[in-house]
Order: sequence, then structure tokens, then C-alpha cells
Amino acid sequence: MKPSITSGLGPTKTIGLVLAIFAFFVPFFITFENLSEPGHRVLGIFMMAVVLWITEAIPLHATASLIIFLCILLVSDKAMLPLPEGYKAPTYSSFFYSLANPVLMLFLGGFFLADGAAKYKLDKNLAKTLLKPFGQKPANIMLGLMLIVAVFSMFMSNTATTAAFMAVVLPVIARLPAGDRGRIALALCIPIAANVGGMGTPVGTPPNAIALGALNKAGIQISFIEWMVMIVPFMLIVLVVAWQLLVRLLPTKAETYTVEIDATYDRSPQAWIFYVTAAVTILLWFTEPLHGIQSAIVGFLPVVVMLATKLISDKEFHSMQWSVLWLVAGGIALGDGVGKTGLDTWMIGLIDWQDMAPGMIAGALCLVALLFSTIISNSATANLLVPIGISLATSPEIAISPVASAIFIAIGSSLAMALPISTPPNAIAYSTGQVQTKQMALVGGIIGVVGLLIFVFIAPVAWNMLGLLAD
Amino acid sequence: MNRIVIVCVEDEAEVREAVVRDLAPFKPLFRIEAAEDVEDALAVLREVAVDEEPVGLVLCDHLLPGKRGVDFLIDLQNNPAYQTTRKVLITGQAGLDDTVRAVNQARLNHYIAKPWQPADLQAVVRKELTDYVLATQDSLIPYIAILDGPRLLDAIAQRG
Repeated sequence: MKPSITSGLGPTKTIGLVLAIFAFFVPFFITFENLSEPGHRVLGIFMMAVVLWITEAIPLHATASLIIFLCILLVSDKAMLPLPEGYKAPTYSSFFYSLANPVLMLFLGGFFLADGAAKYKLDKNLAKTLLKPFGQKPANIMLGLMLIVAVFSMFMSNTATTAAFMAVVLPVIARLPAGDRGRIALALCIPIAANVGGMGTPVGTPPNAIALGALNKAGIQISFIEWMVMIVPFMLIVLVVAWQLLVRLLPTKAETYTVEIDATYDRSPQAWIFYVTAAVTILLWFTEPLHGIQSAIVGFLPVVVMLATKLISDKEFHSMQWSVLWLVAGGIALGDGVGKTGLDTWMIGLIDWQDMAPGMIAGALCLVALLFSTIISNSATANLLVPIGISLATSPEIAISPVASAIFIAIGSSLAMALPISTPPNAIAYSTGQVQTKQMALVGGIIGVVGLLIFVFIAPVAWNMLGLLAD
Repeated sequence: MNRIVIVCVEDEAEVREAVVRDLAPFKPLFRIEAAEDVEDALAVLREVAVDEEPVGLVLCDHLLPGKRGVDFLIDLQNNPAYQTTRKVLITGQAGLDDTVRAVNQARLNHYIAKPWQPADLQAVVRKELTDYVLATQDSLIPYIAILDGPRLLDAIAQRG
């Protein structure tokens, strides 16, 4: 019983693989006007990435590594094929550097904090404490749960947060009579809050990191707290809308909910080291304007402390979600290739943007991200769209800020929660057997659309008033 | 996703049917194969190997025509391909010696005495398959409803 390369390769994946190879070679045989030779090569890589990330013929992070490799082989200063005169080839190491981009280091810090929180059960303990003021009324409990899940999901992965809190609500669900619609509401409120909460900080979910990474490359720095100031108020509005939607659409007949969280604070010295490290890290993230230490540098603090004090063992270190970092790195490398070879200006030149209002372009970016990531991975969506969005925003004839453009794509990816396959949190809720696809599609679809409207039409007004889109 | 296979080896047709019937809750996600003796079981394993589907659990009677159940389980344990497979004996007639051999040499995971209650059998299978899935599968999400949900959720939360 040896696993072979083709094991588990269903028809979609086989087709995906064939189509990806085909897509890669098309620009080598067809010449597009006004597109440089290296641009053609990156177009091939880009189209291959589109197919591979949609079909998942190979793992998402494998596609990312392939992108980095192909960029080096085809368009770097060490390219295997001759490059045209006058083309300023990026160094091969610049493509490798995408694997150590500061945004990834920031994200790694997030991983360490999340691992520590899970290990010392800080998530469940804090939840127990924070949930008390919400009493026992079903609607209030649900609001409390959603707020707590959203806050945790701002720092931990959406998937881990959902799994931890689904375990908390399953017993509550089990005590409700069969057919009570409150069961569905409870099972849905956790993934929704986790998806929405992920938007809140740069480390909340990979699309945020992808957006920030691309902005950094374009010379725009956004601090941890700036991101939060821009996003959190609107994230909370979306969350409250979602809560009201669940309460009204799926009311329970129960008078009270009793949430029992079995957890006691760990008071061991190791746990204390973690609490202090986490508190200092988050405090430094929140106060960047005061001390000026960049969030990525701060993010490395928990990495160093937790490795040195062995709070994270070798085994835990090895089993971290490195594939997520590689996926983000692939997106950064792809964006780099697209930008450096002039593929971006060519792609944007395909459409006559001048007739479109900036708001329409912004809405379209967010909508495309939303639609894409309803079907494919949120990170893959951001990887594909952010380079286009950024170059759209940096081209002179289009009056949309790069920051808004990148953020809209990240937000659009996070707002996609209409199907079980949209995000792992949705898959978890669906696989508990408490939610049907049509219920998820209704609630998730409404939240997606409402969230999009809030972010595209209301948020920029506030951002402009606060001068956050100065550049 | 390749389905994980449950193999039941039992010579009496009625008992075999009862085991398969009791395994019904697992049917949506697992492939259930029944065999009447060890030879038949080996044929099943070959077939499953061709389909590249992993064997997660073997539920085996001891007193079988031909090779005995405990010896079959020992053979499985000595085959690298089946070391992670969870092994359960369902029997009324394995003596102390055979049982000790099953524990020591086949790394028996559970012993179910005949006759059994369906709920007990299901609880054992649920636990064993959860152990198997935790040890071998990258994606735990599909198993939450059918196997031990809280344990799987806990593992997903830990994995990040």
C-alpha cells in the first residue's frame, strides 16, 4: 500500500494539472502586444497559479514554492532563458526573500501567541471570564460568544478559534430539542464571528498579511494599530448585523442558555512567562506610534522568548503551520514578478478604467475577492488579486488609494462565508451536522453582501475624514 | 478523499451481518468490508490496497475456519503497511494464552466479548477510529459529526 504521486488525484485535479501546464505555456507561443518578454513569462506563471490555486491539483503551498522557483528560473538575474536588453532583472535572492518577508515574521509571532494561548488554555479561560457579564438570555449569550470569538480570531487562526469554541457550544446545542432553530444559529455564530474577527488585525488571517506585504513592497507602511483603527469599528458593525440576523432568522424557543466552560487558569511559571510575553507583545503592537518599533520586529519577540524558554517545544515548533507562511510568500513573490516585469500595467491596460468611478472599481475588487474566495482559499484569492489591485491603484489615471485597494481585497476574501467550502471554519460548522448548506448560504450570503456594502461605501468616508488614506 | 476502510472478519453469517448492521452509523464516511475467514480477509486487503484506501480498523473474531483471528492480527501488526491500523478482537472463545498473544504481539487495541450491545460496539469503534484519524489524517474536519467530535475539535484547535 504505497502512496503514489497520483493517489487521491481525482478527475478535477488531473484536469487542473493538465490545464495548469497548458496555461503556463500559452504565453510562450502567443505574443501579446505591448507586453515585454519577461512579462509573457510571468503571465504564464500567473495563469498557472490561477488554475492550480482554483483546482488545488497540488497543495496550495506547493504552488507557492513553484511560483518562487519559476520566477527565479525565468525572470530573475539568474534566469535560465535569455532576457531582453534593457530589462532590469530583479535579483534571484529577492524572490527567495519573499519567504522571510517581515510580514511573515509578524504572522509567525501571531502563530506563537496562538499556540501558547491554546497550550495554556488562555482562550477558554478568558472566554469563561468574559462571558459571565452576558448572563443567560440566548440572544445575549450569542452576542457574548460572537464578540469573544471575534477578538480571539483577531490573534489566533480562524480555524483554531472556531474549533475551540465549537467545542464550547456543542453541549449547549445538544441540550436544545431537535428542530429548535437556535441550534443552527449557535452552530453558525462561531464560524461567522471567527471569519469576521479575522479581519481585525494584520495577524488575524493570511489575506491581511498578503495585503500588507504587497503594500510594504509598494513603499507603504501600515502599523498594527492603524490597521485596527481602520477595520475594527466596521468589523464590529458587521458582527452586530450578523448577530441580529441570526437572532431574528433563527430564533430559539429556549428561555436560557447555560454555557459551561471547563477551565481553570494555569498558574505555572511557564504559563506566567507566556501571559507576560503575550501582554507585552500586544501592548507594543498597539502602541507603535509611541515607540516606533515596527510590528514585524515586535512579532519576533514571542518567537524568541517562547523558543528560548522552551514554551514551544521542538515538536510543536516543527508542527507549526509553515505551509500558511509559504502560501503568503508565494503571493508576495508573484506580486513582485507581476510588478517588476510590467505585466501589471499591461493587464490594467486591457480595460478602459477611465469610464469607471473609483467607488465602482473598489466595489468590484471587493466583490471579485468575495466571489473567488467563496469557492477557493481566501489566501489564494488574495495572492491572485492583491498584485492586480495594487497596480491598479498605483497607475496614474485611476483615483483609488493602494491602501483601500489592498484592504478591500483582504476584506472581500474574509467576507466569503456562504458555503461549507468557503473557509475551514464553515467546514467545521457544517461537519458538526447542525447546519445545512442552504441555511449557511442564506446567512453567510447576506453577511457577505452587507459587509461589502459597509466596507465599500461607508468605511472610506470615515477613513478620509480621519486622514487615513493620505497616501 | 480516500475512504478509510473497516474490515470485519467473522465466519458466522448472522453474526457478520449483525456487526455490519451495528456499524451503520459509520457508513457515510467509511468503507465497510466483511470477510468470512482470514483468506477472504486477505483478499479484501489486496482489493483495498489496489484502490489505495487505508485500513483504519480490523474487527476480528478469533475462532475462524483455517487461520485463527489472533494469528491474523499478529501478521497484520508485523506488516509495516498495517501498523497504524486499529485492531479489535470480537470473540467469546479466545483463551487467556491467545488473548495475551494478541495484546503482546498484535498490539491489540480492544477486546469485545460476545455477545455485545450495539451501543458498546459503536463506542469502541468510534474511539478506535478517532485514534486512527488523529494519528494519520491531515484533515480532521470531515470526521467531527461521526467520530468523537470534542476530541477532534480539540486537536484542530491545537494544530492551529
